[in-house]
Amino acid sequence: MKKTIMLFALAGFTTLTFAQKKKTTTAASISFDATTLLDALPKAENKTVVASINPKTGDVAFESIVKSFTFSNPMMQDHFNSAKWLDSEKYPKATFKGKITNLAAVNFAKDGTYNATVAGDLSLHGATKPVNTTATIVVKGKEVKTTTDFTIKLSDYAVEGGAIAGGKVATDPKIIVVANFK
Amino acid sequence: MYFNFYNMFTEHKKKTRWVKRIFIIGALFLVIGVLVAWFIFTDTFDDTNKQKANIEINALDLIKQFETSDSSANKKFTEKIILVRGRVSETEIVDSIINIKMIDTTTNGTILFAFQQQNINDTKSLKVGDSIAIKGSCSGGVYSEILETEIINFKRCLVIK
Repeated sequence: MKKTIMLFALAGFTTLTFAQKKKTTTAASISFDATTLLDALPKAENKTVVASINPKTGDVAFESIVKSFTFSNPMMQDHFNSAKWLDSEKYPKATFKGKITNLAAVNFAKDGTYNATVAGDLSLHGATKPVNTTATIVVKGKEVKTTTDFTIKLSDYAVEGGAIAGGKVATDPKIIVVANFK
Repeated sequence: MYFNFYNMFTEHKKKTRWVKRIFIIGALFLVIGVLVAWFIFTDTFDDTNKQKANIEINALDLIKQFETSDSSANKKFTEKIILVRGRVSETEIVDSIINIKMIDTTTNGTILFAFQQQNINDTKSLKVGDSIAIKGSCSGGVYSEILETEIINFKRCLVIK
């Protein structure tokens, strides 16, 4: 009986420890959608995003190599990386560092779907701006899946040009971030 | 009177001929413009399988070059088709994403390979430790503050059998 209680206690402790450890993934994804009625081409995806979540502190972060965004159209990808747009040679990385602001509402040790609010800073094209968004966190065993979407104003990050002014590229593209931590 | 009428007639004929020429040239330019635009906007990336590798390199050598100086390594490798030989360190499967990693265990420097949709199935049989060659487009490398190591990304990859 004592052994059984000890085993249960150990299992519980292990789960709790695991649930509180910083988790990372290198297979998070970011979708970027700047399509308009005039142009369906400016959208891309990056499936090699590095992301982390710390259930104990609520710290969340992601990093993306800008040149890892893949477009279906080569010309659009060239424009995206060019000096006039994201200038990925000068600014090769996009990062987000933030915090879950309602951490008490998320129980990482218990299976369930939780709504979180996240506040942080997005750095892109040499500019850093605050981002406030909501995220869905699904806890299933040892896995934690987070999904969030938000829009950014390209002008906040000094990304401007004729295509944006002409309505061919959305001024406030939608960003979707999905990260699955195992 | 007759003379004037004749002059007017030939003048009119000349004008009509010029209008016709301008119209034909304009239409030709329009057709060429539409064709060029159609070609540019419907263009897609070539299958990596059909592209020749610019560089062939061992995974650990590639990581070392990025760790030594990622700015000079980025100039050398980024946006080039590269064939990388090495051992599978990890396979990360998330929903429809399957990424293969090659890691230098002494520094944790990591190469991340994302695959072409048509070649994802080839990765399913890969196991940790398998010695393979992967061809893809290098997206460059940066220092990851999250992983505290150098990471190098590849896109549009396929496993070379």
